[in-house]
Amino acid sequence: MADSGNAPKPSSSVKLVLLGEAAVGKSSLVLRFVNNDFQENKEPTIGAAFLTQKCNLPTRTIKFEIWDTAGQERFASLAPMYYRNAQAALVVYDLTKPTSLVKAKHWVAELQRQASPGIVIALVGNKLDLTNDEAGSGGDGESPGVDGEGDARKVTTDEAKTYADEEGLLFFETSAKTGYNVTEVFTAIANAIPETSLKTARGPGAAHAAARSEEQRVNLNGARDQNAKDGCAC
Amino acid sequence: MLNLSNFVQKAQQLLDPTQSLNITDSDRNPSKASLFQSQFRLPSSQHPLYEITAELTIPPPNATQGERDRDRGYQYAGKLHLSESYLCFSTTPSSFLQSASTSTSSIFTGQTHGGGPSGNGFTFPLSAVRRVERLHSQNFQFALAITTWNGISQDAAKDKDRKDLKEQRITIQLAGTRPACERFCDGLKKGLRSNVGNVSKLKKVVSECYSEYLLRTEDEKNANPPDAGLGMLFKYPGDPKKLRDRAKMRLWAEYLRDNGRNLTLIRQPTFHKLIRVGLPNRLRGEMWELSSGSIYLRLENPTLYADTLTKFSGQESLAIDEIEKDLNRSLPEYPGFQSEEGIGRLRRVLTAYSWVNADVGYCQAMNIVVAALLIYMSESQAFFLLSALCDRLVPGYYSTTMYGTLLDQKVFESLVEKTMPILWDHLVKSDVQLSVVSLPWFLSLYINSMPLVFAFRVLDVFFVEGPKVLFQVGLAILRINGEELLDATDDGAFISVLKSYFSRLDESAHPKSENPKLRAVTRFQELMVVAFKEFSGITHSSITESRLKNKDAVLNNIESFAKRTAIRNLGPDSKLLSADELGALYDRFYGVLYERQQRDHILQQEQARRAKSSRSRIPEAHHPSDDHGIEKGRVGLGPSTSLMDYDAFREFLAAMSKWAISDAPTTPRRDNFGDKQGGFYSSLRRADASLSPWGTGPEPADHEFLQRLFRKWDTGSTSALTLQNVVSGMARIKGKRDIMGTINYFFELHDDDGDGKVDREGILRMSEALLFLSRRGLEGTLSPPNPAMNVSGDGLNGGSDAPGQSVNERFLGSVSAFIRRCFEYADPDHPHNQNAIQDVQERLDAQRLEDSAAEELVNPDAFAIGDDDEDEDDDLLAMDSPTGSPRAAAKRSDHSAGEPPALQLNSSSTGLRTDDDAMVRRRVSKAQSERANAALDPSNPLHITLPTFRMVVLADELLEQFFESSFPASFHIIEGLASSATPTSASSLTTFSSLGMGAGRAVNAALGGGPGASAGGRGLRGVLDNIVTDGMRVAAEVRRRMEEAQKELEKNALPGQRNDEEEEEDEEEPGFERSSGAGKGSAYRGDAERRSVRSSDRDLLTGADAEASDTINRSTSNIEGSGGSGASDGNGSTTKNAEGAGKVMGVEFDG
Ligand SMILES: Nc1nc2c(ncn2[C@@H]2O[C@H](COP(=O)(O)OP(=O)(O)O)[C@@H](O)[C@H]2O)c(=O)[nH]1
Ligand SMILES: [Mg+2]
Repeated sequence: MADSGNAPKPSSSVKLVLLGEAAVGKSSLVLRFVNNDFQENKEPTIGAAFLTQKCNLPTRTIKFEIWDTAGQERFASLAPMYYRNAQAALVVYDLTKPTSLVKAKHWVAELQRQASPGIVIALVGNKLDLTNDEAGSGGDGESPGVDGEGDARKVTTDEAKTYADEEGLLFFETSAKTGYNVTEVFTAIANAIPETSLKTARGPGAAHAAARSEEQRVNLNGARDQNAKDGCAC
Repeated sequence: MLNLSNFVQKAQQLLDPTQSLNITDSDRNPSKASLFQSQFRLPSSQHPLYEITAELTIPPPNATQGERDRDRGYQYAGKLHLSESYLCFSTTPSSFLQSASTSTSSIFTGQTHGGGPSGNGFTFPLSAVRRVERLHSQNFQFALAITTWNGISQDAAKDKDRKDLKEQRITIQLAGTRPACERFCDGLKKGLRSNVGNVSKLKKVVSECYSEYLLRTEDEKNANPPDAGLGMLFKYPGDPKKLRDRAKMRLWAEYLRDNGRNLTLIRQPTFHKLIRVGLPNRLRGEMWELSSGSIYLRLENPTLYADTLTKFSGQESLAIDEIEKDLNRSLPEYPGFQSEEGIGRLRRVLTAYSWVNADVGYCQAMNIVVAALLIYMSESQAFFLLSALCDRLVPGYYSTTMYGTLLDQKVFESLVEKTMPILWDHLVKSDVQLSVVSLPWFLSLYINSMPLVFAFRVLDVFFVEGPKVLFQVGLAILRINGEELLDATDDGAFISVLKSYFSRLDESAHPKSENPKLRAVTRFQELMVVAFKEFSGITHSSITESRLKNKDAVLNNIESFAKRTAIRNLGPDSKLLSADELGALYDRFYGVLYERQQRDHILQQEQARRAKSSRSRIPEAHHPSDDHGIEKGRVGLGPSTSLMDYDAFREFLAAMSKWAISDAPTTPRRDNFGDKQGGFYSSLRRADASLSPWGTGPEPADHEFLQRLFRKWDTGSTSALTLQNVVSGMARIKGKRDIMGTINYFFELHDDDGDGKVDREGILRMSEALLFLSRRGLEGTLSPPNPAMNVSGDGLNGGSDAPGQSVNERFLGSVSAFIRRCFEYADPDHPHNQNAIQDVQERLDAQRLEDSAAEELVNPDAFAIGDDDEDEDDDLLAMDSPTGSPRAAAKRSDHSAGEPPALQLNSSSTGLRTDDDAMVRRRVSKAQSERANAALDPSNPLHITLPTFRMVVLADELLEQFFESSFPASFHIIEGLASSATPTSASSLTTFSSLGMGAGRAVNAALGGGPGASAGGRGLRGVLDNIVTDGMRVAAEVRRRMEEAQKELEKNALPGQRNDEEEEEDEEEPGFERSSGAGKGSAYRGDAERRSVRSSDRDLLTGADAEASDTINRSTSNIEGSGGSGASDGNGSTTKNAEGAGKVMGVEFDG
C-alpha cells in the first residue's frame, strides 16, 4: 500500500432492515441516505428492496446492507425473512399519524422477541417537515407547517422519546424530504453496533467479505476528515 | 326426467369457480374432479362423468405436418373423457373414475418432457361440437366422427369462404364393452343437447381470439383485428427480427389451419415444440389463455369482466387505493405504461379482479404480472388469466397472508439443498437467506427479474406446464451461477452476481468456443436447457409432495406471527389480561370461526350431495370430496372472516363456561382444546364434524343474558364481534379482579339506557341472570359459611345452616333474597311515588307476617324462622343506621360501599337466614301471592341505582363471593371446559331453565303491564317461590346424582366397564342428562368421540379413507418412479386401425 499512515480502517457489513407502516417514508429515508435525493418511488418493490451504503466512522467503516421492506400490510408476514439475521433495524413512524406509532411499537416488540438478540433498534419519527418545529421545516419553503396553518404533528416528541427510552431504543425525528437528521440516524446506528457483533455476527464469511471490500475501496483523505465530524460519507 | 342442464347449473352454483384452490386436504387427497380439472385446465364446474379408452384419428392435413402416413393421418391412443360441458382427449392415460386409484388419476403430474400436463389431444367445449356421427367399424366396435365448429366466426361470412375452410372432422374409435360405449354415447348425446344453448357464448369468445383474424384471407380481414394487447399500440417488447416473429407466425398459422384454432385446437407434438421456441407476439395472449385454461373460464361467463366493472363502477375500496399507488410503478419502462391507455387498462383489470375475489383483493406484484399480460392480451383475457393464476397456477401467492409465496420459498430452498448441497452449505455458512433473492422471482413470475423478452419465454412454458417451471428455472439460475455464488458471502454480493447474470442473458453462453454453433447459443437458451433437461426430475408431483411436507410448518409460522401481531395490537384493555389468556382468547376466537366455516362447508356439501343424488341418475355424479375450500377459515390461509356473530359467540362461550351450555339434551362435547399442542388446526381438521349445527361440541345456551353480553361487547353495534371486542369485553370481567368492577359491570349490563338505574323488569332480569349463571353450580373460591358465622358471633342461626346444604342451594336462597331486597330498597321513579312505595313496603311486610302465620299452620317448626325474618331488617338497620328507615340505610350504604368487610360480617348471617326464609315461603299459597302482586303494581314504577345494587349484593356473602370470584372464574379462558375439574354437564336443570325463560317472561309481562298483564294470576312472589322451590328440588337432585356419579366413578374406575355405563345412560330419567363425575366425564367424552367418528364415517366420508390410503401409496411410489410417466406421450403407441366405412348412424347435432 502506498501510504501506511492511511491504512484502510477495518470494514464490516451490517444488515439493516426498515420496518413500519406503509407510507411512513421508509423508502424515502433510504433514498435520502443512499442517494441524498427525495422523489416519488418509481421502483416496484417485490418483497423488499435492497440497497447498500457505506458509512465511515473514525475507527472503522460500516457497509450498510439495507432491506427496505414492502409497504403493503400483507407483506408483513414476509418480514421475518428480512429481519431474521439483521444487526440493526430502523423502525419508522409518521409523526403526523398516531396509528403509525402503534404499528412501530408492534415492530419493536416483534424484533425484541424474534430478531437476533443484540439487534440495534432505532425508532424514527419521520415527516418532521410537516410540523412547526424549526429544525424540520426549514428545508422547503412550501412546508405546510409554516405560520398559523397549524401543526400537523400528532405524536409529541416526549411521548415517543419516553417510549424509546423505556425500550432502550435510539430515537430520532427526521425528514426525508429536507434530509434533516437522516444521516444522523444511520451514524448513530453504526456507532451503536458493538465491535464484537461485527466480528462474529456474519460468521466465517465476514472476515472474507471485509477483506474484499478493503481491497476495492480507495479511501480519500478529504472524505475522511469530513466524516470525522459528520459520521457518514453521504 | 333427467334434466342435465339443470344439474350443470346446480353444480356450477355449488362449486364457485372463483373459490380458491388452496393447498388443502384436497391436495393431499385430491378429488378425482379436481385432478380432472387440472389435467384439462377446466373450470371447477366440470366433473369427469364418463371416460373410455379410445383411439383418435386426425385426417391428413392439407399442408404437411411431418413424415407421417399421408393417407391415414395421425393416430393417438388415449382416453376420452366427458364432463358436463367438455369432451376431452388425452394421450396421457389417466383415469378419473370413482373406482380408479389416485395414482392413475394423478398420472399427468408426472414428468412431461415438454409434452405438457395434458399430453396430446383436445379439450372441446361441447358447444363447439357441431355434429357427431356413429360409424361402422370393421371390428364391430364403436367409432364416432366428430365435426366441430372450427372457424365458426368465418361461417357467418360468405359461402365462398366455407369452401376455403375445410371442416374439422376427426374420428374416435371407442375401445370398451358395448354397454360402456353405449353409456358414453348416451352421455355425450345428452351433453350435446344441453350445450346447444352455449353456442352464442362460444361465438363471442372466439371472436376475441386473434387466431380467427390470422386465418382469414387477406381480402376479408377487416380493419379491426381482435385486441392482442397493448403491443398492438405500443409495439411488443424486443426486436421482432431477432425474435423471428414472422417465421413463428407462419408456423403457427399453418399449425392452426391443420389442427384447429382456439377452442377447437388439437394438441399434437408440434404444438408443444412451437411453444418452446417462444410464442409470436400476436398469438401469445391467446395461447396463454388456452394453455392455462383461462379461456374456459371466459367461455363460462364471457361478459363477467365488463359486468363486474359496471356493477362496481364508482365504488371505493382499500384495494383500489392500493392499486392506485402502484399504477405508476408497474413496468414503467414499457411505453404502454407511460400512457393513460395502458394505465387505464391496468387499473380496470386489477380493480375488477379485486371485486370478484375480495379475499385476495389486491397484492403488490399483481400489478407487474397483469401489466405483463396486458402487453399481449385484452383486458378481459387478462382478467380471466389472473383468475387462473390466483386459483390454480400460483395458489396463495397473493393471498392476505401470502402463504403460497412463503410455502414455495420453503419448497425451493429444500430443492436447492437437495440438488446443490455445496451451494446450500455455503448459503447457510454465510447466513444468506436464499428466499430474499428468490422470492421476487416467484412472486412476479420472473417478470421483474429478467429482461421482459426472456421473462415472457419463461411464461410461455409456465402456462403449459405449470408452476414446476418456476422451480426449474430458479434452480437452473443457481446452477449456472454456482461458482460465482460460492464466492459471495453476503446478501449484497449474492444479489449483484445474479443481477449481472440477468442483464447478460442475451449474450453468448460460450463466447470463446471454436464451434460457431455453440457460440450462437445464448445464455438464455442455456438457461432453458439446464432448467428442463438437468432439472427434468422436478415434476408437478414432486413439487406437490414437497408443498405438503412443508405446509404445516409454514402455516404455523404465519399463524404465530399473525397471532403475535394481533395480540400486540389489541390496545390498552388487553393489558388487563395475561399473555396466556390473550393467547387462549385468540385461539378460541379464530378456532370457533374456523370450525364453524368448516361445518358450514361440510353441511353445504352434504346438501349438495343429497340434492345431486336425488336429481340425477347419472351414477358417476357423486363427488363426495370436492372440497377445494375446506380450509378456508384457517388464519394462515388468510381468514375469510374475522367477525364473530351471535351464534359463534354462544359457541365460543360454551367452550369455556359451563353456564353457557344449553340445558336441552346436547350432543356430548368434544375435547377440542385439550390436545391442541402444536397442531391446533390439525386436530380440528379431523373430518369428524357431525352434521349437528354445533359440530361435536355442546349445544350452547341461548339466554337473555348472553344476548346482553353480546350487545355489550359489540361496541360498534355491528351485530358482530371483533377479536378486539371480545378481548375488551373479557377484560372488563376477568381483567381487574376487583369486586366493585364486576358488580358495576353486571349492573351496566342491565342498565339498558345507561341512566344509572335499573327498573323493575331489569331487577327481574338480573335475578334471572344470576340463576342462569349459577344453575350448573358456582365456581371460584367460596369461603365455607361456618367460619364467617363464627366471626359474626351470631349463634342463633347457626343451626339453620343444615350441614348437607350445598353452596349452590344456598345461592338460590341468596338470589331470592336479592330480588326481595332490590324491591325493598328500590327508589321510586318519581318523588310522589314515595308513598306508594312505602305502601308496597308495608304490604310486603304485612304479607310476610301472614306468610309466616300460614307457615306456622303447616309447619310449626318454622315459627322461629318467621321471627328471624323480622329481625333481618333490624340487622340491616343496625348495621348502618340503627334509627333510620330501610331507605335511609340504602342511602347510607351508597357511601359505605367501599367498606365491604363490615358488611360482609353481618351479611353472612342474613344470607343464611334469607335462605331459610325462602324455604319457608316456598309453600306460600297462590292467593297470598296474588295479594302481594298488588304491591308490585306496574303503575308504581321504581328502580334501583348502582349504589343500592352494590349494597344489596354486598349484603349477602354468597352474592358477594359470586361477583368477587365465582363469576370471573366461570370463564375458563385458558384451560377450557374439557380440562376443568367440574363436569360440564353435571345436570340439565330443565325445570329451572324453563322458569328462567318461560315463567320469568310471564312475570315480566305481568309487571310491565303489557298485553300479558292478565297473567297477574301468578304473582311475582309466587313465581319466585316456584323458582326457589324448583331450584331446591333440582339442586337436591343434582346433589343426589353427583353422589351417585361419584360412587359410580369409584365403582367403575376400570375403563373396561364402560358397557355398564352405557347401559346406565339408557336408564337415565328423561329430562336429565347423565350426571357424570369429573373422571367419568372425560371417559365418556372419549367414547363420544369414537361414536361421532363412526357416524361421520357413515354419513360423509365414504370413500375418503380409501383415498387416504391411496395417498400413502402414491407418496411412496412417486419418490421412486416419477420419471416413468413421461413415456406416455402418445405417438409411440399409435395403432393402425383404419377408419370404418362411413355410414352415418348417429343423430346429427347441429347448433
Ligand atoms: N412531507 C414529507 N413527506 C414524506 C417524507 N418522507 C416520505 N414522504 C412521503 O410519504 C409518502 C410515502 O413515502 P414512502 O417512502 O414511499 O413510504 P414507505 O411506504 O414507508 O416506503 C410519499 O408520498 C413520500 O413523498 C417526509 O419526510 N416529509
Ligand atoms: Mg416503501
